[in-house]
Amino acid sequence: MNVVITPTMVGQVIISGLLSGALYSMVALGLALIFGVMRIINVAHGPLLMLGAYTTYFLYSGLGLNPYLTVPVSMLVLFGVGLLLERTLIFRVVDAPELSSLLLTFGISIALVNATQLAFTSDLRAVEYLTGSWLVGPFAVSKPRVIAFAFAVGLTGLAFVFLKYTRTGKAIRATSQSREVAMVCGIDVGRIHLLTFGLASALAAAGGALIAVIVAIQPEMGQVWTFKSFLVIVLGGAGNYPGALVGGMLLGLVEQLASLFLTTQLSEVVAYVLLVLVLLVRPTGLLGGRQT
Amino acid sequence: MAGAALEIVDLRKSFGGVTAVNGVSLALEPGRIYGLIGPNGSGKTTLFNCITGVERRDSGRILLDGARIDGLKPYQIAQRGVGRTFQVIRVFPELTALENLLVVTRGDHRAAQARALELLRFVKLEGLRDEYAGNLSYGQQKLVEFVRMLMREPSLVLLDEPAAGVNRTLLNDLLDAVRQLRDTGKTVLLVEHDMKVVMGLCETVFVLDHGEKIAEGPPGVIQADERVIEAYFGR
Amino acid sequence: MKRAGALALIALALAALAIYPAFATGYGVRAVLQIFMWIALAGSWNVISGLTGYVSFGHVAFFGMGAYTGGLLIAKTGWPWPLAALGGAAAAGLLALAIGGPCLRLRGPYFAIAMLGLNEVLRALVSYFEGLTGGGNGLSLPTLDATVPIYYAMGLTAAAVTAGTYLILSSRFGLRLMTIREDEVAAEAMGIDTFSHKLVAFLLSALGPGLAGALTARDQGYIEPLSVFPLATTITMIVMALFGGKGTVWGPVLGAAVLFIAQEMVWARYPYVHPLLFGAIIVAVVLAMPRGVLGLLQLKFRLPRTI
Repeated sequence: MNVVITPTMVGQVIISGLLSGALYSMVALGLALIFGVMRIINVAHGPLLMLGAYTTYFLYSGLGLNPYLTVPVSMLVLFGVGLLLERTLIFRVVDAPELSSLLLTFGISIALVNATQLAFTSDLRAVEYLTGSWLVGPFAVSKPRVIAFAFAVGLTGLAFVFLKYTRTGKAIRATSQSREVAMVCGIDVGRIHLLTFGLASALAAAGGALIAVIVAIQPEMGQVWTFKSFLVIVLGGAGNYPGALVGGMLLGLVEQLASLFLTTQLSEVVAYVLLVLVLLVRPTGLLGGRQT
Repeated sequence: MAGAALEIVDLRKSFGGVTAVNGVSLALEPGRIYGLIGPNGSGKTTLFNCITGVERRDSGRILLDGARIDGLKPYQIAQRGVGRTFQVIRVFPELTALENLLVVTRGDHRAAQARALELLRFVKLEGLRDEYAGNLSYGQQKLVEFVRMLMREPSLVLLDEPAAGVNRTLLNDLLDAVRQLRDTGKTVLLVEHDMKVVMGLCETVFVLDHGEKIAEGPPGVIQADERVIEAYFGR
Repeated sequence: MKRAGALALIALALAALAIYPAFATGYGVRAVLQIFMWIALAGSWNVISGLTGYVSFGHVAFFGMGAYTGGLLIAKTGWPWPLAALGGAAAAGLLALAIGGPCLRLRGPYFAIAMLGLNEVLRALVSYFEGLTGGGNGLSLPTLDATVPIYYAMGLTAAAVTAGTYLILSSRFGLRLMTIREDEVAAEAMGIDTFSHKLVAFLLSALGPGLAGALTARDQGYIEPLSVFPLATTITMIVMALFGGKGTVWGPVLGAAVLFIAQEMVWARYPYVHPLLFGAIIVAVVLAMPRGVLGLLQLKFRLPRTI
């Protein structure tokens, strides 16, 4: 454990926190959309990210593509997977008690993880495309993380532009606020659900594609992302999409700061304690959101 | 059990930027039937929710027989003798009609069972006691919800749109039951859109518009009040 | 008449199970021992998740807690294993109160999320406190061949969980738990203190896994984080309870027996297929048979609630 903590170290950690925070925000935005629009807890969100990572891996190792070029491809593939899942399974539990959607997505997540394990074994894969860091003043910033940050910010920005200015985006937001009113306004809510799930899956896939260059790829890699994405939503407030952004950054910062003062092993515990604390003190999220 | 006096003092509740209840004060006395009316969005349900603890008010006081109940949890308020029915029926679908009534009481099982059967008999549903509440018709569920509330012998009865979706015969039975409650000294407050029901049943009517009380008085006076007419129909 | 018949059947089954070790092979005894364990686990999960509708995704945490507490009591302080098992149950109960206190104040979905993370946290904590728990190297217990007594202990645990579920479901306490699942807001409006009820149910649901964990630790003679906190255990107990019929008394028993046997006979040969199958079964049950086998029969034939 570190004895002396210098300002440089703190600065380094803050930068790392922001870099990873953007990724958390982007992936969590997808989950927030599903939760906000469909009122469904998608426990399978992590596995979707994992599939995005595998897609990138196979395009990279099989076709020799620049992994960053595969990001849109992964997104497209998982967009399709998301549409398929919604159209065949998810739509059936949209109006069911929460228990049903929780268990259904849980079952789907197990099936996805184990199908992947069956198909590709749990051998660790890696996309060794870019390693090393750039030196910015006294700080070392990991190259792949900076690029991931840039992509995440760009994609999240695009997502927000889509939500705010396009007709479909507005319809999504309307449905998220009130399904009944949306229906009365002539919005095809079924179609909106379909698109939202697809979009969320694409965002998760983007996260997976970007993270594939950084961490080891294996079937269970997504599990922790599911939990952390929920943590972000709790921090930012349910149904509060900009809140997800802030929540993601906050999580990134808290995690990195915690790893400075505690060991990395405990950083997950920190995330957990943070979750429980926030849920107790401000169940509607730090920025205020809808109560379930 | 005699009724309770309810006093609401300067209640305020906002959701984000929208003010649902804006400084409302009411006083209810036992043994009377009060009505709460107003156009959609005037804050009626929010007021109900604040009284029953489902929503936390931003400021103001709610007193039941002089004791503050604002800030208490919903089940605590219910245990102090506040009973309510809901706008959208909330029976327990996978419990039988009898179980719906039994589940809200504690203590002597036999006495509870006897009382539950008596209440079911009162609304002529004794034959359906072992039917899952979810399988009952809309009107039957409404009655089950009504007598379920009575199992705890509440002193303050809050009814949220009791006439909604109910046919005339059933409605008359319900209204008679409500009058009986008042005759035993209970305090009744109902939110209702059906004006005939309100005018025929309530002794005093409160009118809300945009979160504020704009009128209060006997039905006849309210009907003629210009502000009320304006609130409902515009100028 | 029907009641006497049912009781006779149960008595017969219990008698058969009691004398089984006398003429069964070692493998046979271990197999039934494991079925007992799964009955205790699935049945306990059923108490919180089947009755109140609050899905506990981290229930194996109580199993692991019981395993480590029991194991430590045996290895480090020399307690006899029956006492250590009770210690394991107590520790699991305390954990339930510690977690349930904050987490059950939340509505269902948030509780589920909190439980999702619990498993990973406990695994991390066990690794962190290496000095005490042996960390990733695991904890070894002094050798003891106690398979048969543990068979009976586990059988008692399974019986206790099943009997406990029966008692709950035939009481008004059980009805109140169900109102939480049916409509928590209405339950509160009717004066039911839902938080206390959830907490008690959660506490009760932790005892079975705690006991089972400690007994398993003694039986295996060795425990390590991965063996007692695996997600697979939570998945399996959920599938068993769902398949057999959550919210019923005998559903978890049926689910445990059927799926364990299927697992041993068919799927154990294909190690990665069977979790996949479990995932598929969960999906299928949730969509097609949400009340499980017994729940479906209960609805169709108007069977009593305590089936």
